[in-house]
Amino acid sequence: MRKIRLRINGDLYERDVRESKTLLHFLREDAGLTGTKEGCGAGECGACTVFMNGETVNSCLVLAVEADGAELQTIEGETAEDGSLSAVQQAFARHHAVQCGFCTPGMIMTVKDLLQRKPKPTREQIIHGIESNFCRCTGYQQIVEAVLDVTGQLPDSDKEGLKYV
Amino acid sequence: MLHDFAYAAPTAREELFSLMAEHGTAAAVLSGGTDLLVNIRSGIARPDYIINLKGVSELAELSFDAGQGLSIGACVTVTKLLADATVRQKYPLLVSAASQLATHQLRNRATIVGNIVTASPCGDMSSPLLCYGAEVELASASGTRTVTLQEFITGVKKTVIKPDEIVQRIIVPTTYVGGRGNYLKLKRIKGHDLGVVSVAMLTYGTKIRVAIGSAAPTPLLLSEFPIDASAETIKQAARAAISPIDDVRCTKEYRAFMVEEFIERLLAEVHA
Repeated sequence: MRKIRLRINGDLYERDVRESKTLLHFLREDAGLTGTKEGCGAGECGACTVFMNGETVNSCLVLAVEADGAELQTIEGETAEDGSLSAVQQAFARHHAVQCGFCTPGMIMTVKDLLQRKPKPTREQIIHGIESNFCRCTGYQQIVEAVLDVTGQLPDSDKEGLKYV
Repeated sequence: MLHDFAYAAPTAREELFSLMAEHGTAAAVLSGGTDLLVNIRSGIARPDYIINLKGVSELAELSFDAGQGLSIGACVTVTKLLADATVRQKYPLLVSAASQLATHQLRNRATIVGNIVTASPCGDMSSPLLCYGAEVELASASGTRTVTLQEFITGVKKTVIKPDEIVQRIIVPTTYVGGRGNYLKLKRIKGHDLGVVSVAMLTYGTKIRVAIGSAAPTPLLLSEFPIDASAETIKQAARAAISPIDDVRCTKEYRAFMVEEFIERLLAEVHA
């Protein structure tokens, strides 16, 4: 066991962890933050995406001990204290970019990172930007629409109705 | 769940090398972890001891020197290489390949050195580094030694690295700085995937250098061609060099076909 100290969504956590525990399992089992999901566990699917020191990582491929001293942001940090959703979350809800929801926390972290690097991505840049995250329900179309919407790139006529449902 | 192992994060080289000498083959070094943790999870690797290199700050250095060339330390991530203005200006072929390597999340962790130490035939950085004539600097408690990248990779996931050694950096000489290059990679899907087959081409002055990935047990560097070489000349040399196999990703016939197709496309870019 080793003691680690790290900040998650602004809160300080100090815990003893097994050296063999992944950051993902630490988040879910020790920190009680079960929003971050385990999909493949091998860096293929992106469901476990979180921010570590400002960069997105697959938390299944990081040991918890490697995150000692790090600043993390997870899906739980997206929602304000009063429960209101972030702009990206609202756009996902508006466009039904969520079906089973398993990929959504990782997808939202990836989109957030993409928008930090490219505040107004083109459709192609969005598609390329979310290549790291698998969604087996939506076919991605609604996710792309949600990102276009939250970046002010959808005409008002496209925002009405549930086109892809 | 991963099996239990001990863990150390040395901050000095001496400490690192003494740990490696002490634990030998029972230890694995961890840098990006994008191969190691996958291999541990799947049972391919079962180290008793993991030594994290990232605490040794000099291993994270990426620097350029007009005499020696580009020095890529063991812990330099793909993202760090891609963000470097000097690399973008002087080594475009490295940028072309690095930007096609895995996903943004993986590029944030995966290292250039790790990509060649894994020595997969489909490693995206091997072919471009071969085109640039890269050298590999190994280090242990008893000193350092340098081998060419061609000498370093000896087979499928096999290298000349010894149990007490690390690759402390890759050196990319200035010989081909100013050359143009591109990397084409065949994937099964438009998103991220391992390369089914890949070709790197670098043109410099009156020469064309070509390297091929996923078409033999090791990445292959062909002998140099004159700048006016025909596609047929290069394709013929490629045909003689490759020994592709059938596997889950592709047939050997398709691999052989796409090597030639990529050579034609890359050569068309050169003459465009």
